[in-house]
Amino acid sequence: MIDQLEAIHQDALNTIADAADDAALESFRIRFLGKKGTLTQAAAGMRDVSKEDKPKVGQKLNEVRQALTSMVEDRAAELIAAKDAAAAKDTDVTLPGRRPQPAALHPLTQMMDRGIKALRQMGFALASGPEVETEFHCFDALNTPEDHPARNEKDTFYFNDGHLLRTHTSSVQVRTMETQAPPIRVIAPGSAYRRDEIDATHLSVFTQMEGLYVAEDVNLGDLKGTLERLFQAIFGPKTPVRFRPHFFPFTEPSFEIDIQLQPKGQAPRWIEIAGCGMVDPNVFAQICESRGDDLYDPDKVTGFAFGLGLERLAMIMWGIPDIRWLIENDQRFLHQFV
Amino acid sequence: MNTSLNWLQDHLDLSDCKTEALADMLTFAGIEVEGIHQQGAGVDKVVVAQIKSSEPHPDAERLSVCQVDDGSGTDRQIVCGAKNYKVGDKVPLALPGAVLPGDFKIKKGKLRGVASNGMMCSGRELSLSNDHEGLLILNTEAATGTPIGELFDSDTVFELEITPNRSDLLSHLGIARELAALTKRSLKSASHHGETSIATQAAKADEIELQAPEACPYYTARRITGVNVGPSPDWLKAKLEAIGLRPINNIVDITNYVLFEMGQPLHAFDADKLQGGICVRQANDGETFVALDGNEYALETDDLVIADQSKALAIGGVMGGEDSGVVETTTNVLLESAYFTPSRIRRTSRRLDLSSDSSYRFERGIDPAQTLGASELATKLILEIAGGKAEDVVLVAGQAPAPPAPVSLDAARAATLLGASLSEEAMGEILTGLGLNALGDGQWKVPSYRLDLERHIDLVEEIARVHGLDNIPSRQEAVFVQPSKDDARYDAHFQLRQQLVHLGYDDCLTIKLISEAQLQDDVCALRLGGQNQPVALKKPLSQDHTTLRPSVVPGLLDVMARNIRQGAHSLKFFEIGTVFSQHVKSPKVLESQQLGIVLAGDMAVPSWHGAPRRADLYDLIGLIEALFSTSKQAITVRKSEEENLLIGAEVLLGKTSIGKLGQLAPARARELDFNGPVFVAEIDLAKALKPSLETEPVQDLPRFPAVTRDIALDVPAEMPNADLAKHFAKQNQPLLVDHQLFDLFADPTGDKLPADRKSLAYTFTYRSPERTLKSGEVDKAHEKIVKSLSQLGDVRVR
Repeated sequence: MIDQLEAIHQDALNTIADAADDAALESFRIRFLGKKGTLTQAAAGMRDVSKEDKPKVGQKLNEVRQALTSMVEDRAAELIAAKDAAAAKDTDVTLPGRRPQPAALHPLTQMMDRGIKALRQMGFALASGPEVETEFHCFDALNTPEDHPARNEKDTFYFNDGHLLRTHTSSVQVRTMETQAPPIRVIAPGSAYRRDEIDATHLSVFTQMEGLYVAEDVNLGDLKGTLERLFQAIFGPKTPVRFRPHFFPFTEPSFEIDIQLQPKGQAPRWIEIAGCGMVDPNVFAQICESRGDDLYDPDKVTGFAFGLGLERLAMIMWGIPDIRWLIENDQRFLHQFV
Repeated sequence: MNTSLNWLQDHLDLSDCKTEALADMLTFAGIEVEGIHQQGAGVDKVVVAQIKSSEPHPDAERLSVCQVDDGSGTDRQIVCGAKNYKVGDKVPLALPGAVLPGDFKIKKGKLRGVASNGMMCSGRELSLSNDHEGLLILNTEAATGTPIGELFDSDTVFELEITPNRSDLLSHLGIARELAALTKRSLKSASHHGETSIATQAAKADEIELQAPEACPYYTARRITGVNVGPSPDWLKAKLEAIGLRPINNIVDITNYVLFEMGQPLHAFDADKLQGGICVRQANDGETFVALDGNEYALETDDLVIADQSKALAIGGVMGGEDSGVVETTTNVLLESAYFTPSRIRRTSRRLDLSSDSSYRFERGIDPAQTLGASELATKLILEIAGGKAEDVVLVAGQAPAPPAPVSLDAARAATLLGASLSEEAMGEILTGLGLNALGDGQWKVPSYRLDLERHIDLVEEIARVHGLDNIPSRQEAVFVQPSKDDARYDAHFQLRQQLVHLGYDDCLTIKLISEAQLQDDVCALRLGGQNQPVALKKPLSQDHTTLRPSVVPGLLDVMARNIRQGAHSLKFFEIGTVFSQHVKSPKVLESQQLGIVLAGDMAVPSWHGAPRRADLYDLIGLIEALFSTSKQAITVRKSEEENLLIGAEVLLGKTSIGKLGQLAPARARELDFNGPVFVAEIDLAKALKPSLETEPVQDLPRFPAVTRDIALDVPAEMPNADLAKHFAKQNQPLLVDHQLFDLFADPTGDKLPADRKSLAYTFTYRSPERTLKSGEVDKAHEKIVKSLSQLGDVRVR
């Protein structure tokens, strides 16, 4: 009997490899383990085994049954694995992937956010004001009375009721000081308008960012330190920054700021990038008059203000050759900023 | 202002300064150098030649054949196109082999068959001036053959931008003074011609009558008789040409010279054309005046004229007239030197849109102390160059404005503002260098030409400017600030932008001024409507930009059209920005922050997987739901009639209307050259986003399994899903936690379902927070809802 069981085992070992697919494996299982399978039939012979041999033969029978069962299971797993491998074999990993649709933040949005991030880290909060302004907030309160040579109505869009489109975001300085007590430390990004024909370097509507810091002891060193840090945050920590004396009606002393950049393959050059200065005492005096108090008494507070054109910054940063690209929103342009 | 280095050197020795160093010095003094031009840089083989004869070219009407004496002893034949010379004139002649500026090589050649052995030159061809109207006629004693470089020094011309506060720099003397201060050099004695001791005599009323002293407080006139008007000497021509002026005649050139030398505009009248004395008066209402530029100007009483007893001779301080100026036949001259009130000149110049070198200076303010000195310098030059005889005294009327008052400097306060440890002595040195005089006690006398130095801060500025910001230490100190509402809004908007970008929508920026045509596009009605109207500019610059946009959608549709033209297939754009409107009854302009979205075309990148799905209305609705619904407030959309939209709908957040959305009318979509549906939305962000720091506690995760039941309903085609959803919610079935629409079926052919019907299939989810539900309880709850559907009328369970 034991010999018979061993022969069955041997037979199974010899033929399992021939079970090359699920159907063959099933026939194999039926041949050995089915109702009429050889092992099942052999098991029926247990009846004739002597009492003393029964434990030994029974054990052998179990061993062989177990071996055959695992043989079938292992072979089934092998067949599945082989099938999986065959299915994956020709997968072409060099085919293009299924990409999400590209889209980008507008370069001006990105530039504005860079500026805002850098200035927030230096402790500035955002402020805002209307784009349709009064002459008072845009000019008079900023030390630019009607007869001032720097006040050019020709460049200004007016409305029939005398309001105008602000020519700079500096009007937000006035609005902020009118409503908030010093110390103040604000930035105001936003649109400004000028009667310029649109061409490669001009827009009639453009984006500025204004900054203002007023407190008891603000000095030129604060102005210099803040703006150096700002432009180095935007253009790199080693960017040289220089201040040239200039004139703005609402600051004194006033400066224009240049940064030195080195476009690829060119000599380094200084590029004008912003205007700034210490708030003119006349501006503070006007604020005191508007507020009806002396919180901004020019003998008590000092401050600095700056303004920069974000289109210009973006053009310099990314080498954009034509300012109109910034308002055309051509996908071929925008998707370069993904 | 064009500034000649040679001219500056009349006042100051700058021979050891390199051009770049000078440019840097000017730049850091606050004078922007916009350009540097090298002039007359010694051109070899250009000599003085005299024209001996000129015959018409046999084959070319416009050309002449000249024989010229080039100093070599034999005449040289030159073919020439210019007409402004006469035989006997001396002109510059470029000989074969000369290389003119611009790398223009001169060779022997033939012009229309006639030999030409060189070229006679204009001022511009030699970079001596801008004049290209003909040959440069040399007014010279120089022998023929003299190299032209000996007549014209090479020069460097700086194109300077003078800021409006520094009118004192609008002259060569002014720039020289500034450079002297910066380089700690002294001016040459010739520079002191502002100081004069000329005798004056108060004018009688019939000589000079000042009728408008507030506009012209001070007027002087000097009569010079027997002058010879003619071309200016070469030195004078060279000076004017170097800075881009065209010489006219000696008298006019001298007045121009004094203007650019001292910054004092002068005017020379032909005295014989005047009837009676000078009257400085306001213009009469309706008075017209033909100025030197040939245009007729309609004057108002606010304008000032210089008149004689019969007519206006000049618009005071702005421009003279055609009839009273100095011409070749003039023999007697009346030389005006005056001071005009800046604001008045500015008003007239702006209103007439007429600007001149004179008005430019008067409106910024000239040195009130130089009136007589300038008159004296011009007189001296006229006598030297044009001959004649000047009257011994200058007639004066009125009084020059008082010299500026002393200004005090508080050195400690100045140092605090500068943030620099600069001593009082060092500050004093800077001010002294700039021509101020210490009066003691911190008081400083300001020179008469520095009209900008009136206040303490003005002196601080001078110190900062000369000391230089480079020498001031940077201070980098932060301050704690309270974030503002604007911060919260910016962050919310920025987050929204990022979400949209991640969903494949491009962040756009369009011009906030739109055209009449865009305004007529009823898409604007998405936001306007009712009592709101758009805000129009008073004087638009062009037809494309007449009105402040009332909506961001028109601009975005232009963006879509542009991208369609360039072949884009996926058109997903948004803009966040200000829009403007006005209530019909109130002039106040309302500004609000809007999100506009336009959507059409592919919803995925085309690939080998198969054609991408096309955008439909539910992409847009789903987007708005995802962006704006909160755990407390859901987005609902309800149909509304919108002009120019095929499908229009209102978007609500909770109960608040936050905007509109819809599908463009096909006719409008076709205007975009797009074959397919186009969707638009406009959302008012002030209503849709409520930035808040409040948070919601999380909800427990369900602990017991859910049981689902499906149901398909046969309903009328026009019945909105919202009616059914509302009905399900109304049943207040405690075990029903959710329902989900999973299928919509309609058959326009009527084969499988009548065409006026549709089938909606829902999955209902039942769950108890306390126990596992038994099949029986679920059946009971579901049955109740199914039965309740009969309340909706024409709804059948399929």
